[in-house]
Amino acid sequence: MSRTRDIACGVLGLALASAYYAAADAIPKSLLADEVGADGVPKALALSLSLLSALLLLRAVRVRNAADDGETQQASALQHLRALGLVALGFAYIWATPHLGYLLGIALLISATALYYGSRPGLSLVLSASGGAVFLWAMFAKMLDVQMPAGIWAHLLG
Amino acid sequence: MTEFALAWKAMTASWAVPAAFFGVFWGIIGGALPGISPSIAMALLLPFTYSLDPITAVVLLASVYVGAEYGGSIPAILIRTPGTNSAAATVLDGFEMHRRGRGGEALGISLVSGLVGGLFGLALLALLTEPLARVALAFTPPAYFGLGILGLSVIASLTGRTLVKGLIAGVLGFMVATIGTDPVSGVSRFTFGSPDLLGGIRPILIMVGLFAVSELMAQVIEPPWAHADQRTARLKLPDWATWKRMFKPHAIGCVIGSIEGVTPGAGGTIAAFLSYNEARRWSKHPEEFGHGSIEGIAAPECANNVVTGTALVPLLGLGIPGSNSAAVLLGGFLIHGLTPGPMLFERSPEVVYGLYAGLFVANIAMLLLGLVILTPCLWLVNCPKPYLMAFILALIVYAMRGFGLPFLPMVLGVVLGFLVESNYRRSLVLSGGDHAIFVQDPIALGMLVCAAAMIAVSVSRELRASRRKTGEAAP
Repeated sequence: MSRTRDIACGVLGLALASAYYAAADAIPKSLLADEVGADGVPKALALSLSLLSALLLLRAVRVRNAADDGETQQASALQHLRALGLVALGFAYIWATPHLGYLLGIALLISATALYYGSRPGLSLVLSASGGAVFLWAMFAKMLDVQMPAGIWAHLLG
Repeated sequence: MTEFALAWKAMTASWAVPAAFFGVFWGIIGGALPGISPSIAMALLLPFTYSLDPITAVVLLASVYVGAEYGGSIPAILIRTPGTNSAAATVLDGFEMHRRGRGGEALGISLVSGLVGGLFGLALLALLTEPLARVALAFTPPAYFGLGILGLSVIASLTGRTLVKGLIAGVLGFMVATIGTDPVSGVSRFTFGSPDLLGGIRPILIMVGLFAVSELMAQVIEPPWAHADQRTARLKLPDWATWKRMFKPHAIGCVIGSIEGVTPGAGGTIAAFLSYNEARRWSKHPEEFGHGSIEGIAAPECANNVVTGTALVPLLGLGIPGSNSAAVLLGGFLIHGLTPGPMLFERSPEVVYGLYAGLFVANIAMLLLGLVILTPCLWLVNCPKPYLMAFILALIVYAMRGFGLPFLPMVLGVVLGFLVESNYRRSLVLSGGDHAIFVQDPIALGMLVCAAAMIAVSVSRELRASRRKTGEAAP
């Protein structure tokens, strides 16, 4: 268990608890409210989180941890950045799909993610992406009748 | 013998047997897809039951339920994504077993445990519907509150040496559960003006984020699966030694699943987590839990499949649908002019016994279909890693892994948060704000005492470990 990680977690927990308490305090009062009120349980949760975060902080400050060397931290930060690239792909997909349509969007997402994970560009990638996209489209749009964005194709193909 | 004759006649004189097979197949697909809950999978077929005879219609819908509850475990084991809420506990050891190249064994354990649970639940449904239905009536809001707290207390023993972080994760999950409309006054909370959040955030979305996406992101920075081709890409059914090891977790799953199943609103999720926890407590190898334990898969899978039978007890015995799935099944009965409840046994016994027989066929169908489809599923996830990862990309929750926060407490917080809060407040409304109501109700009191005992044991363990650690760190 990393000491720095626990300290960061404790500080973030305290910050989140404060923000959540403030948001709970802003919940409008209703005439139908019971004794606890709509804000009662959320406020209790905010207090619990702040107590637990403070406990984690205190414990982290007390316990010495020899594993916090700079090299490990730097390597770990780079790895986290690489993992966050996947999130960027997800956001790009969400942004582009309404324009490109579900079928093309999901095919591009499959290709991009496979490339990001180290797959080599080639016929197998194209086949996997297109096959996967058709399968997912048939499953969701046709079989389960889930409404998927048609994108520009709806205008182009009438 | 009349009951058996009625069941046999119902099966042979209708399309119930093919309906049971198709229902299980459809249910497995629905259950395996995160976001398609058992009730949604059933609701999708509901319109098609109009033209069917009553027995075929109810057997079809009940079989979808059986298939979906089992189907949720397949992605839980293979891609660390529970297809249904109740399969979340299976992720713990199922995926670990798969990661160690024993995916076929994990799927086999899950399949036979589901069968054992399903048949046990069916036996209870057929033999004890009337007395078990009375248990459902004994549950008052304070008892539900106690049940929710008992479920949450599992956090204490699940998190082991990271109790504080486990509790933080549980509180975070509970916070997520407060998003949406307030259960008592109807005021919107933490929706920030978005109508999409009025109904709250569905637990399955949280689970996809917690399990699947964080796993995908972690895989980016891990080396490729070098030995993927050497893995056992075949389903492996348990041998005699494994069956012997599964006996105790199956017994635990059957008992807990029965109680949770007959309790309206409790459902398979609490049953699965409590069974997992108890299986670990009673195991001779508790150290294996979380690292690919046989018992860690058998107990929750057995429990959540027992629920498929016992959850129908309040519906058939009292006419009360205790879950969304039971409500859809109730719709199936009503469409054909049948009203579930005590009078159903008098007026339409052929439908009741036909349903029992149909559920038996559905459980056998689950085994047969499982044998057929699980090997291809294993092959699929053993194909090159980049393609597999590409197919399961979805949402975001990665920071928790970075901070070392355990996932399961958060899942429990999300799933049980609403149950705990709404019944806590309903109880206080009933008592005029007097908290003594929680100790006056014997069921609530029993559950709260059990929860307190579980937490106390875990806290004392944590304190002992912490003192030992401080002693070692001291010069």
